Amino acid sequence: MATGVAGGLTRSRRRFPRGAAVTLVLLLLAVVLVPLFARLDQQLVDLHAASLPPSLTHPFGTDEVGRDVLLRAVYGLRVSVLVGLAAAVVSVTIGTLAGLAAGAAGGTLDRLIMRIVDGFNSVPHLLFGIFIVALFTPSTTAVVVSVALTHWMTAARIVRSEVLTLRARPFVDAAISGGSRRLRIVRRHFLPHLIPHIMLAAVLMIPHAIWHETALSFLGLGLPAHLASLGNMINDGARSLLAGNWWASLFPGLFIFLPTLAISALAQYWRDRSNPRWRSELQL
Amino acid sequence: MKILRARFVTLARLGVVAILGLSASCTAPSSPGTSSSNPGTRDTFVLGLASEPDTLNPVLGYEPDGGSLLFDGLVRRNADLTLAPALAERLPDVKGTTVTFTLRQGVRFHDGTPLTSDDVAYTYQAVLDPKNNSGIRGDYTAIESVEAPDPATVVFHLKHPYAPILQRATLGIVPRRLLQGQSLDKAAFNTKPVGTGPYRFVSWTPGDKVVLEANQSYWGGAPAIKRLVMAYSADDNVRATRMAAGEFDATELPPKAAARFEDQVGLTVYKVPSADYRGVMFPLDAPVTGDKAIRKALSLALDRSAMVGAILTGAGRPAFGPVAPGTTWHNPAVDGTPTPDRDQAARLLDQAGWKPGSGGVRVKDGTPASFTLMYPAGDSLRKDLALAVASDAKKIGVDVRLAGLDWDAIEPRMAKDALIMGYGSPYDPDYINYEMFHSSFSGQGFFNPGHYKEPDVDALLEKGRAETDPTVRKQTYDALQQRIRDDEVWTYLVYLQHVYVVRGKWTGIAPAVEAHEHATGGLFRTLAEWKPAA
Amino acid sequence: MTRALGRMAAWRLAFTAPLLLVVTLGMFVLAKASPFDPVRQYLGDRALTTSPEIARQIRANWGLDRPLAEQYLTWLGNLLRGDLGESRSMHRPVAEVIGERLGWTLLAAGCAMVVMLAASLVLGSLAAWRRDSWADRLISGTAYANEAAPVFWTALIVIWIFAVRLRWLPPGGLTDAASGTVEPADVLRHMILPVAVLAFSQSSWLVLFVRESLITTLREDFVIGARARGLRERTVVVRHALRSALLPFITLLGARVPELVTGAILVETVFSWPGVASASVQAALAADFPLLAALTLLATLAVVAGNLLADTAYVIADPRVRVLGVS
Repeated sequence: MATGVAGGLTRSRRRFPRGAAVTLVLLLLAVVLVPLFARLDQQLVDLHAASLPPSLTHPFGTDEVGRDVLLRAVYGLRVSVLVGLAAAVVSVTIGTLAGLAAGAAGGTLDRLIMRIVDGFNSVPHLLFGIFIVALFTPSTTAVVVSVALTHWMTAARIVRSEVLTLRARPFVDAAISGGSRRLRIVRRHFLPHLIPHIMLAAVLMIPHAIWHETALSFLGLGLPAHLASLGNMINDGARSLLAGNWWASLFPGLFIFLPTLAISALAQYWRDRSNPRWRSELQL
Repeated sequence: MKILRARFVTLARLGVVAILGLSASCTAPSSPGTSSSNPGTRDTFVLGLASEPDTLNPVLGYEPDGGSLLFDGLVRRNADLTLAPALAERLPDVKGTTVTFTLRQGVRFHDGTPLTSDDVAYTYQAVLDPKNNSGIRGDYTAIESVEAPDPATVVFHLKHPYAPILQRATLGIVPRRLLQGQSLDKAAFNTKPVGTGPYRFVSWTPGDKVVLEANQSYWGGAPAIKRLVMAYSADDNVRATRMAAGEFDATELPPKAAARFEDQVGLTVYKVPSADYRGVMFPLDAPVTGDKAIRKALSLALDRSAMVGAILTGAGRPAFGPVAPGTTWHNPAVDGTPTPDRDQAARLLDQAGWKPGSGGVRVKDGTPASFTLMYPAGDSLRKDLALAVASDAKKIGVDVRLAGLDWDAIEPRMAKDALIMGYGSPYDPDYINYEMFHSSFSGQGFFNPGHYKEPDVDALLEKGRAETDPTVRKQTYDALQQRIRDDEVWTYLVYLQHVYVVRGKWTGIAPAVEAHEHATGGLFRTLAEWKPAA
Repeated sequence: MTRALGRMAAWRLAFTAPLLLVVTLGMFVLAKASPFDPVRQYLGDRALTTSPEIARQIRANWGLDRPLAEQYLTWLGNLLRGDLGESRSMHRPVAEVIGERLGWTLLAAGCAMVVMLAASLVLGSLAAWRRDSWADRLISGTAYANEAAPVFWTALIVIWIFAVRLRWLPPGGLTDAASGTVEPADVLRHMILPVAVLAFSQSSWLVLFVRESLITTLREDFVIGARARGLRERTVVVRHALRSALLPFITLLGARVPELVTGAILVETVFSWPGVASASVQAALAADFPLLAALTLLATLAVVAGNLLADTAYVIADPRVRVLGVS
């Protein structure tokens, strides 16, 4: 879009999103601290307390086999975050390697890798993820692999474009004429510049990874069904929805909604404040 | 501001035009169907069913236990599960390895051709032919050959004396003329089946419904319901709502979903007992589950009444053996208490040497009382039962770890890990139980996965299969049930009730104890005899 | 322009073939690496009561023990000839399954796109017009929040409100089963919730985009210039401002096909809508590779087509691209 007289970006969020930050901190605290005080036995049910509405003893109610929804939601968020982190790390690693190879080597290798990226991008993420987990036993590993294989392309793109920029810089020419080998250039000169981009990409990938995992679990293709995963809980809750049990679906969903919203508000703020070029890159 | 308002108005107009214009191109795809009928009249009856059959061809496995409205078998079942002749004129005596049926005269297929013994012989031969890949071939392996010496007589030659042979004769008969010489997978018959049953085929919209109409020249009398639509809707909640909305005249539902229909005017809820059980299959060669004390203690510690109350919402009963109460073969001496007796369970374990250890888990000779219990992923009933078993086990110091897996992942692990399984047939105690407990089937796929090998049990099973005297058979199977209980081969949890909701008042509804697979028609198998109550 | 378009289309198609080849090869390899047994899938419930020897026979009949490369080439050959194989979970040819269900997905997704377009245009413009008012805050806020909410969660909430509490609309399914033909009114009634949820879930980016785009565009030189030249307001808006503002939107729309597919999968599943997207979930749950592979391929084609369409629209709409050529 051309810039005009009044030009520039419209500023919709300039104030630091305090609410988002507070929510995020609270949730993180809950995820870290609650397991220390109230251990959840993933296999314990209480059939005599099935489907109780929210009350003082059970602030979020109980599900159809009597498990406390609040405690399971906290554990579910923990699992989702852990899976999200693992998947983000794996996908960013793959993406970085691919992006580095493409950007640093150039030529045919670059074109080949970009074609592969295009190929992966042509298959809708969830469908591809479904395809992967469908063919392998439902487990945490399968889910992490599924998320990683559908999201590494973003990191690859970011890293590649950064490497291309860096290549054009004079210090690279200086290093080459100074006799440094290519690998050394990559390690000593590129990586330090890349690290902040890589880390940002990883952090921003976490909400996507969480979403992907909960979607798979909701469809019954994610983590084993008896474990506390937010997607599993919503799946179970959906079954008793028509019987009147709204709390078993609503609250787990809230635990996906709130952190995602908070992270995206913070990311937006960060984006608006910093380099405008990042805006297009981070359209994840 | 005027500028902006004008723009807004223009955009709004654009938007409206867009909606109208593009909506006009959103045409509903047509689906093949017949002329529309008036819903709600007595002439059309709409069933809402959960699972669509894979095929409508009896040779490939469509309703082999009877209950199909398109086909008849040589025999059929009454509500009390006794057999009555159908295409056969009368029930033959079963002695030795030859069984002879005389066919009823004057029976015609839906296309008008007469039924002859060639068709019967062809049907059974086709099932047994390995090239046809019939999934039910294993049930008929006792048959050596089938002859049709004259158009009204069929002779079965058995490999060995086989008491349940009459029970197996419920298989629907297909016309030889339409199938012989063709590859069964691709035959046109599969999409336009022709049988001798009370309803004839009209259309099949896969994924949606099957439409049938009454066979006016049915040998047993034309049905009162003239037109039958079997609509398939896999999601239980959706079926419940469509029933409530008046779209279905009858449906089958899980107990929770049916609860809302309990006291509604004009609707009747039928809770039909079944032989369909769920239980824990134990691998008997594995370290912890191989110990009988563990198995028995676990059985004592389970709160089956809570399982029935919370998980089945009351639609079921506690189970203690593989033969269902309510059938003639059930041994009443094989029983138990629906509420747990943890003290006795604890005592049993103490006596067997399982002492309380660290973390609340019992230990014996250095081995902790811990094993894995698998449940099939996607089956929420079995998952909930597995959770209940694990919770109850924990209270007596047995650590049960759950694993939700796909059947393919379960299969190789059945020799080491326990599994929530389900079976149950009310027809003959030889069905399934032979394959479940005979040592010759030990470890074969899903047959006898626990590796149960007891020679005297083998003898009982063989005797029950070959013996034709009903009294002797009853004694044999009573002894079998007692033995299974004493050895606690499985820990049986619950028998399910199948729940149906029917709109309106009808005579001819005959609930009978039902089998594990829903495909056998259930309450709807007698639809041909339903008449509106006056 | 036609030459530029033609060149671009040919270039794109040339890339599509190897792309699809790579995608199919990848799928096939994954399927082979899978521990799941297709014979067991075929037998379904019967697998528990069928002896292993019969299962072995079926396996031999299907040629599952042939070498990998041979199986892939056979499969690919069949694919090119139009034989998509047989769905192991639905026991019918894959082409038939897709043929029946594709229409429903296109209907729901198509109507959802229309609703989304119209609603986003209206709401985005409203928000831009009344910038920083309560309406703007409500619309923008909801758009941001919507992006964070999983669509299956919002679908369940919508079902709870409209189907359980208010009982205005059905919670799922396609139609009334009693009639033999499809009654449009009945389908429409069942369609309202799934289409609304799908449209709503896809609309966030568009609402925000329209809003921001309009705010920016209206400040630009050429708009002020057009007004200064005395052109009518309508001309200014439609021919200059809107066209320029909406240009990137058309491109982005075509590029949003993957998200649409994802949304369709979840919405169709929650509402039991019998389209191809829900069929993919059923195929996945049954490890039905032939059907799943065909559907994945279909989705990939849709994405490629969407990208091509978007770029075509861009070429047509923006004269600068025409003149300067296509990269």
